[in-house]
Amino acid sequence: MLQHLIKLIWNRKGSHLLLIIEIWASFMVLFGVMSLVTFNLDNYREPLGFEYEQVWAIDLSRNQDTVQTAEKITQVLQKIKSYPEVEKVSQMSSNSPFSFSQMNSSISRKKTSTLSDIYYADENFDDVFDIKMKSGRWYQASDSVAKNKPIVINQKTADALFGTENPIGKTLDDNKIVVGVIDNFKAKGEFTKNEPAFFQLMWPHSEEGKIVMKLKSGTDANFEAKLVKDLGNMLVGWTVEVSYLTDQRQNQHNMALVPMIVFSIIAGFLLLNVAMGLFGILKVNIAKRREEIGVRRAMGATEADIQKQFVAEMWVIATFAVLIGLLFAVQFPILKVFDLASGVYWVAIVLAILIIYGLVTICAFYPSRQAAKIQPAIVLHES
Amino acid sequence: MITLNNIEKVYQTSTIETLALNNINIDIKKGEFVSIMGPSGCGKSTLLNIMGLLDEPTKGDILIDQKHVEQYTDKALASLRNQKIGFIFQSFHLINDLSVLDNVEIPLLYRNSSTQSRRDAAREALEKVGLSNRMKHFPNQLSGGQKQRVAIARAIVGKPDIILADEPTGNLDSAMGNEILNILLQLNAEGCTIVMVTHDESMAKKTHRLIRLFDGTQVY
Repeated sequence: MLQHLIKLIWNRKGSHLLLIIEIWASFMVLFGVMSLVTFNLDNYREPLGFEYEQVWAIDLSRNQDTVQTAEKITQVLQKIKSYPEVEKVSQMSSNSPFSFSQMNSSISRKKTSTLSDIYYADENFDDVFDIKMKSGRWYQASDSVAKNKPIVINQKTADALFGTENPIGKTLDDNKIVVGVIDNFKAKGEFTKNEPAFFQLMWPHSEEGKIVMKLKSGTDANFEAKLVKDLGNMLVGWTVEVSYLTDQRQNQHNMALVPMIVFSIIAGFLLLNVAMGLFGILKVNIAKRREEIGVRRAMGATEADIQKQFVAEMWVIATFAVLIGLLFAVQFPILKVFDLASGVYWVAIVLAILIIYGLVTICAFYPSRQAAKIQPAIVLHES
Repeated sequence: MITLNNIEKVYQTSTIETLALNNINIDIKKGEFVSIMGPSGCGKSTLLNIMGLLDEPTKGDILIDQKHVEQYTDKALASLRNQKIGFIFQSFHLINDLSVLDNVEIPLLYRNSSTQSRRDAAREALEKVGLSNRMKHFPNQLSGGQKQRVAIARAIVGKPDIILADEPTGNLDSAMGNEILNILLQLNAEGCTIVMVTHDESMAKKTHRLIRLFDGTQVY
């Protein structure tokens, strides 16, 4: 029967060409959207690697003030530590987690190098974010007197630079020594990839104006107002801005979710269009083929045979379209386009195929049911 | 072989009720060649459709091989049509997008037969009607007579016991018509029961028995 249907469709390829192109285009769009969705969901499943609840970030902008700024920041740190609401405090570079600031550089060891995110932070950073060590330790303030600059790397950096070697105690090309390894560190949120990163000890009395702090649970906006007021009094002419990491995380999520939602809506409209097109074409097709339906019924086809035939025909047409689409889609995992893992593309291909066949089946179901109900005696008499 | 008892067929719309067949009683024996005649609209095709299980009577019994078929499911009726009955229509009803060979194969698609056995049976049927040289052609490349021979091949490919022919020569000239009738006579001689609707008295005379209808009623 399948051979018969393929032959029938092949002989009618002229009239099915537009339909094949339409399904092919839908498949390609679906493949794109599914790749994006799969990529994001894959990332989402990977843990962040740190805790952000009850963590606030304070941005201190000195504006025109250039006098004793490091001392002023040290005083601010002391002041913040004195509040009973504050559990832990750390000073760091501007690229705190979930901020829209990023710093990266190539780090190398022997002849291997990798592009890595850099975070300058003091010795309390791991406590604020409750970062668990995979091996080694977080650096201490006392490490600052050592000959080599102590750094903590994440597993991605360890994999890139050391492979299966243990990186603890090993030095990198520019006098950095690895003192600890952590697992993931996804500073831009759950939907981003876990990229190579390292943390370097910030020298004492740094002028970096970013402070992150972990607060006791239940600390509210009253404390925020008090904090801003106190710091404003201490830092005349400076700008003090407090942000909650939970809010910043939401902003990062929106950055990832908005394109996904927009593309999904576009794909949804396209699919709806295709669905209506398929539905309409099939209805017209059945109206044109009433005589054929009558003949087949007279020759021994049951209602179910007729319904199966029309659904199967749509599957065959969809298969032609999907096969053409696959010629394009398989290039993506083979050529590793956009540097995404092949698995993302393969999953997207499977999902796109399933959605296409699901859509075709749904659209073919009702018209083919109507075709099956056609009375052979009536249509044979009509024609 | 086919027995119709007190068959009545009424077509009903919301406003009109039309009595297409009234109190029809026919018994067709195995191996008979029966023709049905009557003016246009007298119910000939309706009667043939009821005999072929394509339409249900409003009243009355249908027996095929002494078995009542009124309670048969769609699947059982389809199977009976497929196994026992071959149809030939005035306007051939061939599928233009399929080759002659593929058209002839259609009844066998609804049986569990292999591709090769379908091909062989279709070739054999086409040889029987003298069209073995036109297997790869499409219906629109054939003359009316050739199309009807393809339709006959399609009707006999499943080796049915009964052939129901609805004005098989109606769209053909007399020479072609005679050719088709000769094929039907040959099939009948080989044991096939044939019921043929015709307007042509001379053709009807060549059959074993003539049933006349007038306004849905059996005249004699």
